Amino acid sequence: MDAELVQMAEVAEACSRCRCGCCKDQCPMYSELLEESISPKGRNALIRSVLNGAVEPDERAVRIAYSCLLCRRDEQSCVAGLRNSDATEAFRRYLIEKGAKLLPEHAALAKSLDNYGNPWQESRAARKRWAKGLQDKKLVPGKTSTLFYVGCTFALDRTLDDGPKALASLMDKAGVDYGLLLEDEVCCGSTAKRIGDIKLFEKLRRENEKRIRGTGVENIVTACAGCFKTLEQDYPDLSEDISIMHSTQFISELIANDKLHFPKREVKVTYHDPCHLGRHSDVYDAPRRVLLSVPGLELVEMKSSRQTARCCGGGAGVKTAYPEVSQKAAAKRIREAEETGAEVLITTCPFCVQTLRGAASAVGSKLKVEELSVFLDNLSHERGGGHR
Amino acid sequence: MMETEVRDQMMHRLIKVLGRTRVLSSRPDLVPYTKDTYRIRYDEDYKYFPDAVVFPETTADVKGIVEIAADLKVPTIPKGGGSNRTGMLVPLTGGIVVDTIRMNRIVEVSVPNLYVTVQPGITLKELEDELAKHGLALNQEQGSFKVATIGGSISTSGFSRKHQKYGTIADRVMSLEVVLANGKVMRTGPKILYTSTGYRLQQLFVGAEGTLGIITEATLRVEPIPEAKDAILAFYHDFWSANEAALRTMSSCVTFTGGEAYEVEDATSLGAPQGRNGLFYLGFEGTKGEVHAQVEFVKKIVHETGGVLAKHDDAAKFMEKYTSQWCGARALTGFEDALTTYVPVEHMREFFEKLWGEVMPKHGSAPLPGEKFSLDVGRYRIMAGRFYLPKGEGAWEKYQALLRDIAKLTTRLGGSISSCHGVGIEHKDNLDLEYSEVALDVMRDLKKAIDPDNIMNPGKMLPDKK
Repeated sequence: MDAELVQMAEVAEACSRCRCGCCKDQCPMYSELLEESISPKGRNALIRSVLNGAVEPDERAVRIAYSCLLCRRDEQSCVAGLRNSDATEAFRRYLIEKGAKLLPEHAALAKSLDNYGNPWQESRAARKRWAKGLQDKKLVPGKTSTLFYVGCTFALDRTLDDGPKALASLMDKAGVDYGLLLEDEVCCGSTAKRIGDIKLFEKLRRENEKRIRGTGVENIVTACAGCFKTLEQDYPDLSEDISIMHSTQFISELIANDKLHFPKREVKVTYHDPCHLGRHSDVYDAPRRVLLSVPGLELVEMKSSRQTARCCGGGAGVKTAYPEVSQKAAAKRIREAEETGAEVLITTCPFCVQTLRGAASAVGSKLKVEELSVFLDNLSHERGGGHR
Repeated sequence: MMETEVRDQMMHRLIKVLGRTRVLSSRPDLVPYTKDTYRIRYDEDYKYFPDAVVFPETTADVKGIVEIAADLKVPTIPKGGGSNRTGMLVPLTGGIVVDTIRMNRIVEVSVPNLYVTVQPGITLKELEDELAKHGLALNQEQGSFKVATIGGSISTSGFSRKHQKYGTIADRVMSLEVVLANGKVMRTGPKILYTSTGYRLQQLFVGAEGTLGIITEATLRVEPIPEAKDAILAFYHDFWSANEAALRTMSSCVTFTGGEAYEVEDATSLGAPQGRNGLFYLGFEGTKGEVHAQVEFVKKIVHETGGVLAKHDDAAKFMEKYTSQWCGARALTGFEDALTTYVPVEHMREFFEKLWGEVMPKHGSAPLPGEKFSLDVGRYRIMAGRFYLPKGEGAWEKYQALLRDIAKLTTRLGGSISSCHGVGIEHKDNLDLEYSEVALDVMRDLKKAIDPDNIMNPGKMLPDKK
């Protein structure tokens, strides 16, 4: 067993020595389904029983393995600090390597990733669709040091492509010299990695890394929390000598260096921490710093925020495999946001935006869900300037 | 093992009553229901699978499940949060685990009469959160606060860190609704606190571990949220000097919610001066005036017993952190067990000296660092500690012999083997040390009268008649 699988076995073994269940009330999946097997404690018990040969890794075991949002919220309550999320991710990989089939709901994503380099069954050329008028930003090797890595969902979901447009606009306003891969960009592999298809992930990683290396850039900026976590944590070679920043960190630096500022806007907003950016990457302050730089803006925290922030319910393949639970988790987050009295719920992950918008509409909420770059860029447009 | 024909019939009928999604029977689903947090015999790790796990949502659902179980004579194991430590949730002979966790509704909050009626699956935390909206509190605070349910807490006769002022769950129960082994639904009596009519049937189910019936509703005494709360934390040279303060407090008239005297390895992170690892803390609740007076009274005791008071903020922080912990990172410490023995306070020194000096070494065990001495301050005199389980060849037998010797020591001093974790499997065979054969026979007769076919959590709590 490699290090990830050894750690998985250790987590399962340690959890079996305790079995306290302190993880359960923070787990969005367990909170909805209230079945022990659909909880971090239950999944750890399953991992151990499969490794010990007491339980066959049958179809039901596979479905249980995919019942986790990998949100790491439960880990905040674990006195022993067990990495349940990593164990579950490794378990998915273990099951597939032992011959289990991906869930049918995930197989389509994997096939699309393999064929088109994105999970959304769109052609490779469609990746540049969002970037009309930005063709001159195609990165020329050796000419630009900063790559704006867009990510599949921002690039291909027409309801979200204002995100990359907004970030590009903000970078232009701040005078940042950046480049895009456009149709040459390939999925970072986050989806493949989270659903345990490690071969597919490695294929995507190699392809991506080769293309990025070929550009000779020194910095990568991405607005997608999933891409950020993956590039920073799952591309060890790349992150060794290339600085990888989330857009919130990058914008925060631009503001600190006086390259970007915003007009006054009296608005009450709340901020949702995406799991991949918050608990997985420990980026909590940068987005808040950015928001608080807007004069007149009031930032109100939700009942659960930062390390204990509720997951939106959209991650790790759960939205596809357990849509009803995902919707309920998202609805709870919307209610928390509503309780703050905010007009706008701001976040920085395309999946969170997608999932929370869906939930807001489903529960008839008046809350506006916006991606941070879009919110910021609109400020300037609304008031006709204010930037340098 | 249940016969295939019986199991098929059972599954068919359970699905008919509850629907397919509320009946689990695949092994991956059943694994977490094979044990609670009890340290099961090492070679029996995966021996006890239930045949099914069911999720009732109403009393009628439970009645339907029990009727099937009674008809087919299959065991039912009621489950709450699953945090029991003595094995009372282990399905020793298979059967149906009745997971009450979806029975989590609040049925009624009576502000004028100061009671709440709830379904059994609501957790202590969920209930406190909801009661707070009405300005009320149940005041049942324990380590498994976020996990333990009302039904589980009653069935285990659980502890509360606020026992001195508000009692434990046993003192909170006013009335219960229970589904009996014959499927009949019994209300133990009116939702009132005091009566001089009839047997107090509700108390029969406190600590009964699901062996007499399945609780489907509980009416519990609640209190208004107090105007003021405060805490005191003081540092001493060791447990025994902290204990002086505890004894002085206990023999005074001062009111407090609960507290503890114990010794840790290093208390400097809590703000203690070097070498002062004995801790004494107390909580207070009431009107501002009384809390102020109580705090001042105890500060005087601390001063007179040579304690060093922690800063007020440090004490508050300590209480907040302390009350949020439970499992004590058993995942990291490995194979250990916890004592919840109740020993009359005058025998405390003898108990601890014999426990750590004779009993533990005899069986190859020792205390966990900083877990050697602990006393709950007040009338609830838990002498607590945590110890490593014996290792090596015959480890299980050594562990059982150790438990027997702890039980002998405790009962010889007039105490109880388990003051808040129940009996389950762990202490079952030592119950004869705490109760006479006459008392045990009365318990057995009661069980037989209410559950003649022994379908209610069989194999738990009551030792077989020798």
